[in-house]
Amino acid sequence: MKYWKAALAAAVFASTTVTAVAETVLRLDEVAVGELDPAKASDYADSILMFNVYDTLILPAQGGPGHTGHLAESWSSEGNSFTFKLRDDVTFQSGNPLTADDVVFSLDRMKALGSGLSYLFGVVESAEKVDDLTVTFNLESPYAPFVASLVRLPIVDKKLVMENLGEGDGDMKDWGTAFMSANSAGTGAYSVKSHNPQEETVMVKNADYFLSVADAAPDTVRLRYGLEAATVRALISKGEHDIASQWLPPEVVSALAKDGAQLFTEAGTGAFYFKMNTTKAPLDDANCRLALAHAFDYSTAIKMIAISDDISAGSAATGAIPVGMYGSNPADQILAQDMDKAKEYLAACKYDPSEMDIEVSWIAEVPLEERFALLMQSNFTALGIKSHINKMPWALFAEQVAKAENTPHISQLFVNAVTGDPDTLLYGMYHSSTPGTWQSPEHLNDSVVDEMLDAGRSAASPEDRAAAYSKLNARLMEIAATIYGFDRQSVFAASNRVKAPALTDASKAFGLDGLGFSFRLMEMTE
Amino acid sequence: MSAVVQLLLRRLGISLIVLVGVSMLVFGIARIIPGDPARIALGPNATVEQIAKLRSSMHLDESIVVQYGHFIKDLSRGDLGMSLYTNRPVTLDIAEFLPATLELVIVAGLLMIGIGLPLGRWSARYRGRLADHVIRLVSLLGVSAPSFVWAVILMLLFAFFLPLFPIAGRISDTYTIERVTGFLLVDTLWAGNFQAFSNALWHIVLPAFALALSGIGQAARLTRANMIETYDKPYIEMAQAYGFSGRRIANRFAFKPSLIPSLTIIGLDFAAMLGNAFLVEAVFAWPGLSRYGVAVILRKDLNAIIGTVLIISATFLLVNLIVDLLIAFLNPRIRHSQRQTS
Amino acid sequence: MKRTLIILLRNPLSLLGVLLVLMVIVLAVFADFIAPFPDHKGAVVDFVYFNQAPSDRNLMGTDLVGRDLFSRIIYAYRISLMLGVVVLVISVPIGVLAGLFAGYRGGKTEFVLMRLTDVFLSIPPLVLAIAMMGVLEPTLLNAMLAVTAMWWPWYARLVYNVARSEREEGYVLAAEVIGASQWHICFREILPNCLPAVITKMTLDMGFVIIIASSLSFLGLGVQPPTPDLGSMVAEGARYLPDSWWLTVFPGLAILVAVFGFNLIGDALREILGAEQ
Repeated sequence: MKYWKAALAAAVFASTTVTAVAETVLRLDEVAVGELDPAKASDYADSILMFNVYDTLILPAQGGPGHTGHLAESWSSEGNSFTFKLRDDVTFQSGNPLTADDVVFSLDRMKALGSGLSYLFGVVESAEKVDDLTVTFNLESPYAPFVASLVRLPIVDKKLVMENLGEGDGDMKDWGTAFMSANSAGTGAYSVKSHNPQEETVMVKNADYFLSVADAAPDTVRLRYGLEAATVRALISKGEHDIASQWLPPEVVSALAKDGAQLFTEAGTGAFYFKMNTTKAPLDDANCRLALAHAFDYSTAIKMIAISDDISAGSAATGAIPVGMYGSNPADQILAQDMDKAKEYLAACKYDPSEMDIEVSWIAEVPLEERFALLMQSNFTALGIKSHINKMPWALFAEQVAKAENTPHISQLFVNAVTGDPDTLLYGMYHSSTPGTWQSPEHLNDSVVDEMLDAGRSAASPEDRAAAYSKLNARLMEIAATIYGFDRQSVFAASNRVKAPALTDASKAFGLDGLGFSFRLMEMTE
Repeated sequence: MSAVVQLLLRRLGISLIVLVGVSMLVFGIARIIPGDPARIALGPNATVEQIAKLRSSMHLDESIVVQYGHFIKDLSRGDLGMSLYTNRPVTLDIAEFLPATLELVIVAGLLMIGIGLPLGRWSARYRGRLADHVIRLVSLLGVSAPSFVWAVILMLLFAFFLPLFPIAGRISDTYTIERVTGFLLVDTLWAGNFQAFSNALWHIVLPAFALALSGIGQAARLTRANMIETYDKPYIEMAQAYGFSGRRIANRFAFKPSLIPSLTIIGLDFAAMLGNAFLVEAVFAWPGLSRYGVAVILRKDLNAIIGTVLIISATFLLVNLIVDLLIAFLNPRIRHSQRQTS
Repeated sequence: MKRTLIILLRNPLSLLGVLLVLMVIVLAVFADFIAPFPDHKGAVVDFVYFNQAPSDRNLMGTDLVGRDLFSRIIYAYRISLMLGVVVLVISVPIGVLAGLFAGYRGGKTEFVLMRLTDVFLSIPPLVLAIAMMGVLEPTLLNAMLAVTAMWWPWYARLVYNVARSEREEGYVLAAEVIGASQWHICFREILPNCLPAVITKMTLDMGFVIIIASSLSFLGLGVQPPTPDLGSMVAEGARYLPDSWWLTVFPGLAILVAVFGFNLIGDALREILGAEQ
């Protein structure tokens, strides 16, 4: 009995004392499970891990276009081959020095596993070691965005991985996947202390990082997975959490901002799309698609994602390409609802509107999408078209889009350019050679679009690329395979214990999703 | 004692038959899944060859009977297959998440017994008086809402408006506790870290109460009903005539016999809690098996679904076995009969 | 029957139960006339009034697309009641038949049927329904199926216990001696003795079915939006605690009120019918 009382007293006591910690801890969260193997990394949580535990040959320049060296000192190109000179002062967290072998191995591994973003390197024929610190990539065909795509080629520690191969067939067994999904094998500024894909990854500062890192950068980072919105909201208010994921509903972010939280933003590489299945009646008729695209209430959509008077989770779309990328329309030519035009297009459509029943799907993991589904449904009703809403878990959606006939009429998706280049945004969505992935539920097959996409990736000069994407933009608006909801801006609510210039200062922004979360560039103020 | 051993063996045998039945049922349910689990598992960028390979390694191309055979063979080696969601053996995942759920359910179970039984006893002793009416009403309210509603209400009241308790998790992240059993309340004591223990205790209060409320109500109602039945028996009258105190009669002559039927139901309520933990864990972000269960169900992760349901059922059978044994010890008359009391 | 009703209405607690249940039924049946915004049961958006706290216009506030919460709760009662009735209508006959048969016939029938019920009862109720919903499409019909699958064994067990004890009673033996058919004995002799217990359990179970069904939709495995459902309303609203508390509190209380009503009646019935036996 006495003991019980003591425990209770201690409980009350524990809740009121502030534990003094000498080292600084940054706490953030993501909705998805964290994949630590960088060759399998694809979503935002994976990217945060990858950009901190691993390094890439180059990085996007901060606050502007172009790229700067990172693990590579310099690079040059000749025809379809690109040669990179590596820094000589880089060691992995294991202590092994970085060499050209590691780069070759990283590419081979990425291609062999064939998951994550490995499709970016489909055009790369081989990587060859020239000498210990020089490596050459040979491409099969001209590919303008190649250098940009290297931001998604993390360099792994060949020696360490080879020492830890798991079970599997062939020489390379499992390519170290079992090891890599639980351990770090990178050069990054942070090493993995513990990793539980459903719960949390704990990272600590790597004292031997090849670049100097500010003392104020967090000593320990705890990345937690799958927290509920209400939990994150409460934890931040209580000062027990630092940066919320971008998937918090806008109301919650705005409630936090009112309580004094700061807002981080990351913009400009993607958009929110309502993708129409162009193979399924009645949406196989472009006039019907145009009718829906004109009936959509763009301005309400923007209001729905507003967080405060001056910050929103997106800005008005101007066309098929987000503002700021090659081929985009000026920021003031925003798309707007036009019911008269919508009716005209509907009249020209070969199907009878009274017989239509449009299936509007939304991804169960992104509750905000339900509201867009409802908005669309009410817009379509105003046009006299019936529709029904279907909630789909992500896994099921990804499986169903493989076949055109199983793909819903309308799918809602956030897509972003994983390398910052428009090619990685648009090629996967619209080229006829890439149908049936989660990015391309349009199942579009349009020769003009294909031609422009190919021109955009093989053009030599930036001007030629811009021209090709500009034409592509016009064509996409003409055939309306997609309703362009808004240009996406990620907003993160954060405590005042942390400063992240790459997420608050436009001149320090990377223009690449997830890279703003390089913890080495953050500063803890407490 | 031999009669008890006999009973134990018999119940064990029946439990095994039931467990085989459960495995067939769950296996059957999991195999009528729409869509191709291999394709779902590998994601949108998988090639046809990769899918075919995974299908054959999961025996998806063979008949369901053969599939079940493979499943039982693997199961006997303690192998539940790989989770397609976490890319880890299902047994490993379950071993990781089960303790958190069990800890929550056990604490809730203790609350149920520790609060529910005394309330029921009190209510029966003061039958027809104010205390009785209040307790009956409150316990009926307790069973009248799903545990997620209680979870939300408790959270709103005692974590948001009166910030007495934490909102989520099992322990504050300032503590690092070495994992021995996975039960934080045990591990913290094992490590001799009393501050961490009280912190873990402080975290479990709200979720455990949310989970226990309907059980408390149920236990109180049941104890009351059973005790009142006993109160009407002639031997109580005799005891009263002998001049035993009301308290002594309540405790010794009315409460104890009524414990036996209550215990059976408490076993069943424990089962309900294993299920309801799904709801409470979702509200309090409790990192237990139920959260894992919901995640794998949404992702149609066959092996993990089967493994989770099977483990929960096995736990439940084990609890009922223990309850049966307890009853046998408490009441010799029950040794020879079946579970008629339920 | 009439006497039962009189006793029910005389006790203040059971009267409260009757009133609560009547209120829920009236709200559900006449939803079209009572709801201030009947069209808000479906996909309607009104961003002028979104996420509003309770006010004169919206008694219980509005949800995140501006729909009146009170109207949606009334329509959600419809779904809950329908689900409860359908589940019981299907599962009670199945369970009663299985229990009667096992209890009266004994032997192999008893062994097989009762082990089968044991199997179903060995999976915690909600877990079985969750597992089933996990593989089925989440729709109202499938939710009913899943809940039914977990419900019938309880009735089988209940009736089995009564039937087994009645089997040895004099009147059953007498009926057997005069050559009454098995069917006659099961349905005419034994079944009526099980009915009070079954009816009491059904009233109590109305509440439990509502609880289980709302639990399924709370986990996203039941009725799908935009159809209003109490469980999914709580789940959806829980993201916005504590700022938009009305989104969770009112649907949660709505469940409590309905189930409490059924439980009050069930409790009273149990005492009345139990005393009569």
